[in-house]
Amino acid sequence: MAKLLVVDDEANIRLLYSQELSDEGYEVVTAASTAEAVEQLTGNNFDLVVLDIKLKNESGIELLQQIVKERHELPVILSTAFSCYKDDFSAWLADGYVVKSSDLQELKTEIKRVLDKKSRIKAG
Amino acid sequence: MDWECCWTKNQITPEECPYIAEGEEDLYGSLQRRIVDKCMECPRFKNDLQRMKDLAYPLSEVLPHIISEYREQKARMASMASFVNRKTREIKFLHELNVVLQTSLDLDEVLSVAMTAITAGKGFGMNRAFLLMADKERQYLKGYLGVGPRNYEEAWQIWQDIDRTNNTLRAMARNFQRTKLSSEKVKFQDILEKLSVPLADEKHIFNRALRGKKPLLAENAFHNPDVDPGLARILGVDCFLVMPLISRKRRIGIIIADNCVTHKPITPQDMQSMETFAFPVAFALERASLYERLREEVTKQTAANVKLKEQQELIVKMEKMALVGKITSSIAHSIRNPLMIIGGFARSLLKSSAENDQKRSYLETIVQEAKQLEDVLAEVLNYSDSLFPAMDMWDVNQLVTAVYNELRERLMQRGIRSSLEPAADLPMVCIDYKQIAYCVRALIINAMELMTGGGEIWLKTALTGECVTVELSDDGPALSPEVREALTTPFVATQEMGTGSGLPLCRTILEKQGNELLIGDRPGGGTTYIIKLPITKGEKAHG
Repeated sequence: MAKLLVVDDEANIRLLYSQELSDEGYEVVTAASTAEAVEQLTGNNFDLVVLDIKLKNESGIELLQQIVKERHELPVILSTAFSCYKDDFSAWLADGYVVKSSDLQELKTEIKRVLDKKSRIKAG
Repeated sequence: MDWECCWTKNQITPEECPYIAEGEEDLYGSLQRRIVDKCMECPRFKNDLQRMKDLAYPLSEVLPHIISEYREQKARMASMASFVNRKTREIKFLHELNVVLQTSLDLDEVLSVAMTAITAGKGFGMNRAFLLMADKERQYLKGYLGVGPRNYEEAWQIWQDIDRTNNTLRAMARNFQRTKLSSEKVKFQDILEKLSVPLADEKHIFNRALRGKKPLLAENAFHNPDVDPGLARILGVDCFLVMPLISRKRRIGIIIADNCVTHKPITPQDMQSMETFAFPVAFALERASLYERLREEVTKQTAANVKLKEQQELIVKMEKMALVGKITSSIAHSIRNPLMIIGGFARSLLKSSAENDQKRSYLETIVQEAKQLEDVLAEVLNYSDSLFPAMDMWDVNQLVTAVYNELRERLMQRGIRSSLEPAADLPMVCIDYKQIAYCVRALIINAMELMTGGGEIWLKTALTGECVTVELSDDGPALSPEVREALTTPFVATQEMGTGSGLPLCRTILEKQGNELLIGDRPGGGTTYIIKLPITKGEKAHG
């Protein structure tokens, strides 16, 4: 069972993601800030991070850069309400990019794609 | 004593003096004037004087001296009268010239007046004249205009024409400006081009005349050590006058005048007259040149003001648009998260609700409405993004391939077969990558949503004339004209269209960047959408 970390400052979104992604068979852990996320990342082995770009007074991009730098094997999917970040070079570091929608199908498809890719790379 | 001449008679009859001509009848009754005008030269009077001498009259020895002195004084007076007459004519001419020059601000008119004055018979009557003017950088004297005949035949023709008309200087100059100025410039082009002289060449006769502020006469020019023999060869004459044109210490130019046809000598009197004429000409030329430059500057200034006003209006418009975009974007983002949560949980509940649950339809409605609101929000956000395109050169094949790869899986999930055929050697085009990618994405999603029963999509790029085209064809249902219209009209939806097609924004984006969106029937059924991207859009694209 793949273990996912969902980072979003909106409690209801964290709840929705937890419920929907758990239904898909993933183990979901959530974090409301970058500090919480860093803490979770230290104590757990995650297979993938779903990261909101705009956190309260914080930038998800900075956390993304930190993850890429320190745990480059951990894939990150950016989830945001701002489609314009897709063209931000910093966002290109992420493995996937999803614009937030009530229909989580795109997010689920993207998670599956990235995890499959990771497995293929691991299998060599 | 019985004298032969009538010099002793107050009143005479016509028979008594045969030298009084018609129109001089008043002399019959005026002894004093008759003696001065007629008797002094009369042979009979000379005989009377001889007789006086023979008869030893006391005054007979003195009278010849008085008469001789009288004649001399008379000749001197005649000469002075002639000089005064000539000067009067000259002053009248200069006055006419000055009036014309002072009232003209047009450079061509001033030139026409000056050159006509030099060459016209009623002016200085020179055969030919060249005007050289200092260039803007004040480095060279450059040939500007030549006036006069090139040969005797042409001279004869000109003089005949002038004789036929008795125009004023202004009328002659206007006639010259209207009919000859352009052709004269061309006629002497070969000579004018060779007359260019650096102002720094102090030994050249042109610069010597300018430095001395006096006209210089070049005589025996072919063998004169003070004259460049090359200059004499160019002009083809061995005698010419160089007249400096100076206004307020500024070197305006020079006029070269010669008698290339008649070879009449140039007299000191000619030089003196021309010198008097040079100042008003130089002043008028400078004033006309300054006026011309002033007009150029005013035109430039006016154009700059218009441009500035346009830019200011554009800035105000952009500021307004930026503000609208910012507000719209802010509102849309604030709504997006709650909307996602409402729709997301509704979907979640819908999944877990039983098929026969009566409340299931309520949940379905919430899901659908939330989705529609999300689509509208996406459109609004994309619109505010589209307000400020970032133009650059991009490879359209790369763009289309990226978008196609992004959507291929979704197409497959919907049971739609698809293919991409990129054209080889496509030129780069100047576009906003993000916005054009949005348009291509919108076309594919639009086609996908209309093909509810599956089908096939063909995507290809091509070079068509001056445009790179992105063409999408499908074998879906044919679209009615109303649906086609609605597809590209903002916030209009039909049942066949579904929701949030994005094509209205697509059209707005494309047209704003000077591109085009065409929608037509596909031969064999279905619809064809074409995005036309001109290869050279230039300023329009950046507008």
